[in-house]
Amino acid sequence: MASLTAQQRQDLIEELPRLKRFCLSLTSDPTDADDLLQITVERLLEKGMPADAHVAKWAHRVCRNLWIDEIRSRDVRNRYAQSESVSEGAGTTAANTDESVQLDRVAVAMQKLPPEQRAALVKVAVEGCSYAEAAAVLEVPIGTIMSRVARARKALAEDLEWSVEREA
Amino acid sequence: MSEDRKNVVDMAGARLDDDHILSMYIDNELDAGRTVALLERLKAEPTLRARLSQLEANDSLLRKLYKQRHQAVPSQLATMLRADNGVLFGATRFKRWAAGAIAASVATIAVVMSLSQTNTFNPMTMDQQLASALEGSASQASGWVPLDKRRDFRSVLTFPAADGRWCREFLLAHDESHWRGVACRDNGTWVNQVMGSEVFLEQATQYKPAGADADEKVARFIDETAVDIALGPQEEAVLIQRGWISY
Repeated sequence: MASLTAQQRQDLIEELPRLKRFCLSLTSDPTDADDLLQITVERLLEKGMPADAHVAKWAHRVCRNLWIDEIRSRDVRNRYAQSESVSEGAGTTAANTDESVQLDRVAVAMQKLPPEQRAALVKVAVEGCSYAEAAAVLEVPIGTIMSRVARARKALAEDLEWSVEREA
Repeated sequence: MSEDRKNVVDMAGARLDDDHILSMYIDNELDAGRTVALLERLKAEPTLRARLSQLEANDSLLRKLYKQRHQAVPSQLATMLRADNGVLFGATRFKRWAAGAIAASVATIAVVMSLSQTNTFNPMTMDQQLASALEGSASQASGWVPLDKRRDFRSVLTFPAADGRWCREFLLAHDESHWRGVACRDNGTWVNQVMGSEVFLEQATQYKPAGADADEKVARFIDETAVDIALGPQEEAVLIQRGWISY
């Protein structure tokens, strides 16, 4: 297979943030996500892709296959991701603390989701992909995306234990 | 909630409960007829409205989580992808978090040559030719700008440092040797920060031998120094034209 063209490299550079989020959705750990992202880029540089390939889809596919083949077989410790915020001047207001606690809870709840649900939810709710776009990238039927996203949202809601009474 | 989720809709043969319907509604994937039906129910059923609010609020937190905590992409990846011919300069728009402000006296790294040899080329030397190239040359993916008969220069990228200085990663070729380094502009003067990997520079005057891979050191320096992504070609051109004054 031909090595990456200049345009493919540029497209891949622009895709890196979304690919990073995809890696995180698969691994649920920022450090492992960085590892997976690094390996994915190395593999793409090594193997290239067809000239007519959709760069984002191809990269996501390579990434997912690598995760299945290599990351899953590793002895990955289930670490809880630490905040990477560098907002030094943020202070410690009650609002900031409450939000940080909320985000911590969401992060933990996300880690509990099955990887396929997590990946689908991130693609749709965070990346803003349509079901068709997410289905193309994740290579599953649209109905599967719909189901996984709905189940993920439901699991998150139940895990976060938000009640109707609390909202009222 | 479960006792309220009696409404099940057939969608292409699959029976969906309220959570599925709400999820599709949130994603704008519900068809018009079922959307109208749902909106009528939302008006009449406060429990259903509350459930929708919960799901939407969770989505909002999830987006915030990813935006605040999971945006960073290791800088060396873009460098890897730009490392060969034809890679376009305009780096992806991703955020880098600075590890902290870089003190003026920060040293670290570089100098490959043995400093005991006084007649040996010292890549850390900042002379007029190198400074002039740093001041005015656009970054490029390939090609060289000759500095003199024995040295060629290529700027790789320009990025802002956490301490407010502009820095540039560049390549320097001297005869058959190549170095990769970073220089930062300090009050109008370009100062080499890192080059190669064999010597640590302390306060611009002292050198110590060390050992590490040049590219790794440079990448780490950028990783720790940069407060934002590299400039695109147009932004860089404007900055150079303005004499490195950012407004």
